[in-house]
Amino acid sequence: MSLFLFVLKRVGRGVATIWFAVTVTFLLLRLLPGDPALALASTNMTDETRANLLAEFGLDQPLPVQYVKYIGELLQGNLGISFTQNSEVTTVLMDRLPWTLLLAGSSLLVTVILGIPLGVLAASRAGGVWDRIVQVVAVTGQSLFVPSLGILLLYVLGLRLGWFPIGGAYTDGTYGGEWYLSVLAHLVLPCLSLVLAQLGAYVLTMRSTLIDSLGEDYVVLARANGMPARRVLWKHALRNALLPTTTLVGLQLGFVVGGAVLIETVYAYPGIGRGIYEAVTQLDFPVLQGAFLLLAATVVVANMVTDIVYGVLDPRVKAAS
Amino acid sequence: MTTVEQTPVSTEDVPPAVKRGTWRRFRREPLGLLALGVLVVLVFVAVAAPLLADYPVGYGDQVLAPPSGEHWFGTDSLGLDVFAEVVWGAQQSLLTAAAASLIAIVVGTLLAVVGAYFRRLDTVVGVVVDLTLSLPILPLMILVAALVGPSTMTIILVIAAFSWPEVTRVVRSQALAVVRMPYVDAARLMTSSPVWIITRHVVPAVLPLILVSVVLTASRAVLSAAGLAFLGLGDPNTWSWGRILYEAQQAGAMSTAWWLPLFPSLAIFLLVLAATMLSTAYNDARNPRHDKGAR
Repeated sequence: MSLFLFVLKRVGRGVATIWFAVTVTFLLLRLLPGDPALALASTNMTDETRANLLAEFGLDQPLPVQYVKYIGELLQGNLGISFTQNSEVTTVLMDRLPWTLLLAGSSLLVTVILGIPLGVLAASRAGGVWDRIVQVVAVTGQSLFVPSLGILLLYVLGLRLGWFPIGGAYTDGTYGGEWYLSVLAHLVLPCLSLVLAQLGAYVLTMRSTLIDSLGEDYVVLARANGMPARRVLWKHALRNALLPTTTLVGLQLGFVVGGAVLIETVYAYPGIGRGIYEAVTQLDFPVLQGAFLLLAATVVVANMVTDIVYGVLDPRVKAAS
Repeated sequence: MTTVEQTPVSTEDVPPAVKRGTWRRFRREPLGLLALGVLVVLVFVAVAAPLLADYPVGYGDQVLAPPSGEHWFGTDSLGLDVFAEVVWGAQQSLLTAAAASLIAIVVGTLLAVVGAYFRRLDTVVGVVVDLTLSLPILPLMILVAALVGPSTMTIILVIAAFSWPEVTRVVRSQALAVVRMPYVDAARLMTSSPVWIITRHVVPAVLPLILVSVVLTASRAVLSAAGLAFLGLGDPNTWSWGRILYEAQQAGAMSTAWWLPLFPSLAIFLLVLAATMLSTAYNDARNPRHDKGAR
């Protein structure tokens, strides 16, 4: 029963976060100097045209009325009409969302798969040569501007060596298995850029928590009992050190999405980030607003799932909530 | 934040001997000193930009020329000197980072410390911080910057507006612990002024954390500003490191002229790396018990 309550609480918090994002967006659009409805009309219009435009977008009504209407529209999945593409924002963005999910999701997966063993390697040889190398790589990746990293990989692996295709997400005119292979080939470089940018956080967290848990009494006891060092490390110490790493996934989700926006621009990858880049040049506010809300919802839902998994893994969390 | 040495009240929490010890230990960290050196050089370049290079404007005669004795970092698609762009970009990037992080630190610390003292406010602050930190910040910054229109002021305010929650999160946990200390209770008996207690006792106790936050917030601000500029939301009238990359991308010269992305990228990398290493070294030096091998 307590697990049910725990899940319910987390879902409630997720809904509250999405409501917060929606409200912030609404207030930004209405209260900031730039008037979104007027941006698409010319600046030297008559007062009458201006009034008509405001009425058309419902901007002449009092703020609370606008707010209720806004939420009502959102609940129906209506994010407005794109200024430039003359179609619904939802349609425009839904075509792009899968690509962003593929890119962000695969990079997260690869980062965790690489980050945990590298952190273990560094922690088990703390102060040694491997520890130094892993740390240098981790800190370097963390300090690089994500597009710089993307351009570097694009230039070296894509252009000079020609190992991977660059630009877009698939090769036109391919079908079936060939199409999937082309998707995979186009994914490698943008995904690798995001992996290198995130890896540091995971490796360093894994390393420091593992060093802490290697100093715990139960580890010393297990060693004293004659258990092989390798088994103590992987079976006993790692298990406890994994929990902070799970928390990190939640904390880093926002960063992954931000990084994906920038990397998609570098690689002309047809995801939401590329859509944001195009919307910025055309000042397409409905698309920018929709993109933020969609990305926020994605992050919140992913975070919720991570938290619930964490709760299932660690009995103390359920008990405490 | 050079006020550390000038604040006499902080002696209650951090005796001068400990502070001198921090500096002495810090001097023994070669990486920390190197990082400090790199930051000093970057600040010098930013301040001395008018002496180092002419402001890049208009058109040059050599378009997309590789690095040479005349143009150290090559030229861009308009024939402008990339070295001059990077130098002037340092000024813009550091100015943005310093201003944004200053606002974020002041607001973030204030909310954290006042919140810790007045528990009712703390609940609200805590919820807002949690909610903001669980949203993707870059898309939010993009939306706001696009709405208001790109200018240096917009960029500074947008970055500050979404950076303070991180500062509050870090400072708040420490401030909450300090407020429960017996000496704060003692101070409550001596004065009824919360302002006095907060400025004399709570702020000095969280000062080391604030110092680390300044460096880290500023380096994150450089990355955010570069990210916005890279998407075309930087100030169109001033050169910044992000704008050099944006212009290169727009001109389609990113892959043909390697020197265009390389030099601004290196500048960003050096700054962020130095900031990270400086804060790590400062943390190690401040806490003598900290085992260097284990971190």
